[in-house]
Amino acid sequence: MTSGKMPPQIFRLVLLTLAIIVSYIVARYLLTPATFGQYGFYRGAALAELATPEPVFAGRKSCLECHEDIQEKLFKGEHKTIGCESCHGVGRQHAQNPDVKPGKIGDSGCLRCHEDNGARPAWIKVIVVKDHYRGDKCAGCHVPHQPNEVP
Amino acid sequence: MKHAVTRRHMLVALGGLLAGLASLAAARTARGAVKKVLVTTRAPRDYDPHQHKWLMCFDVDKCIGCGLCVDACKTENHVPAGPMYFRTWIERYIIKKPEPGSGKTRGDVLVDSPNGGRDGFPTTTVPREEILKAFFVPKLCNLCEASPCTQVCPVGATFDAPDGAVLVDPNYCIGCGFCIQACPYGCRFLNPETRVAEKCTLCYHRITRGLKPACVEICPTEARIFGDLKHPVENDPVQAFIQKHKVHTLKPHLGTEPRVLYANLDKEVR
Repeated sequence: MTSGKMPPQIFRLVLLTLAIIVSYIVARYLLTPATFGQYGFYRGAALAELATPEPVFAGRKSCLECHEDIQEKLFKGEHKTIGCESCHGVGRQHAQNPDVKPGKIGDSGCLRCHEDNGARPAWIKVIVVKDHYRGDKCAGCHVPHQPNEVP
Repeated sequence: MKHAVTRRHMLVALGGLLAGLASLAAARTARGAVKKVLVTTRAPRDYDPHQHKWLMCFDVDKCIGCGLCVDACKTENHVPAGPMYFRTWIERYIIKKPEPGSGKTRGDVLVDSPNGGRDGFPTTTVPREEILKAFFVPKLCNLCEASPCTQVCPVGATFDAPDGAVLVDPNYCIGCGFCIQACPYGCRFLNPETRVAEKCTLCYHRITRGLKPACVEICPTEARIFGDLKHPVENDPVQAFIQKHKVHTLKPHLGTEPRVLYANLDKEVR
């Protein structure tokens, strides 16, 4: 063995180790998604992707752009906390094009909250359907936007 | 002796492979750059996740069990209709009176959640005189500070976003289901159509646009209160809620530090 010169078998090992390290780095670069690690151990782009879908429910504010008069009535009564779309259903199509009428509300809409089922809190007014006056639809006697009033 | 493969051949092949991989990487970077210019997402641009910390509060006394939130969540997020797939749901607790002379504080506890409460609750078969108390408990992702679900994900597909939402990356999830088992609150499920884990995102597409989550928007009694801890608005409902009520979390002994707070929670609620 000549002094000062690296033995060829050691040189080959160094070369092989370097090749493995470089191929690991290249493979890691190729296989890791672009924004991985932007915020943490996940794809940062996922946040924007999850925020992409269009909302379905339009929200109270967009209803009030046209129907402020109803809000004034609503705010006087006990139904003031209820959002428009809670009873009227999804209003996005109607908000974008007023010609598309929102769906009709039947008595089942009222009974969802006001029918006794044995576990409702004491503060909400509930009825037992078979004991309640059945001569008319709910709206025949009650005003949904002003529940304290009588028509 | 003649060698079919010489060392020279091997080295050339290895060098060629590395060069090929390197050029692939360059091509991939170029493709990404082109995509960034040409493809525009409809995601809101001015949303910075570091500027928010979302949380949800529930007032159990205000929940009337109408199930509108469950229905709204399914509509808003296109959650599969089956009776096991819920991002939020309502449980009805009926606690019976103890047997006279038994020396107990309560009798049996009956919990039901037919179709997650989506269609409301049928009248209970328990006679009124046997009921000690009854109430509804809305449930969703508990937004844990130390979330067990994100710790078990083997690929980094579920994570705690900087704004406090615990999210699943549907394009990266492999559907192994570890997170579903890890969640102590049962808030995750495997979507049968996409075959990836799914959970409440706090309606991420709504809150990033300044809207409330669908369940909060639809709740008729304000039993659900949603807000931002980093930027309280004027007369912030969340701050008022925390001041007014003695709040509690679900399963505090697990050390998950949920950011979903409950007021008027009974000790029987799990």
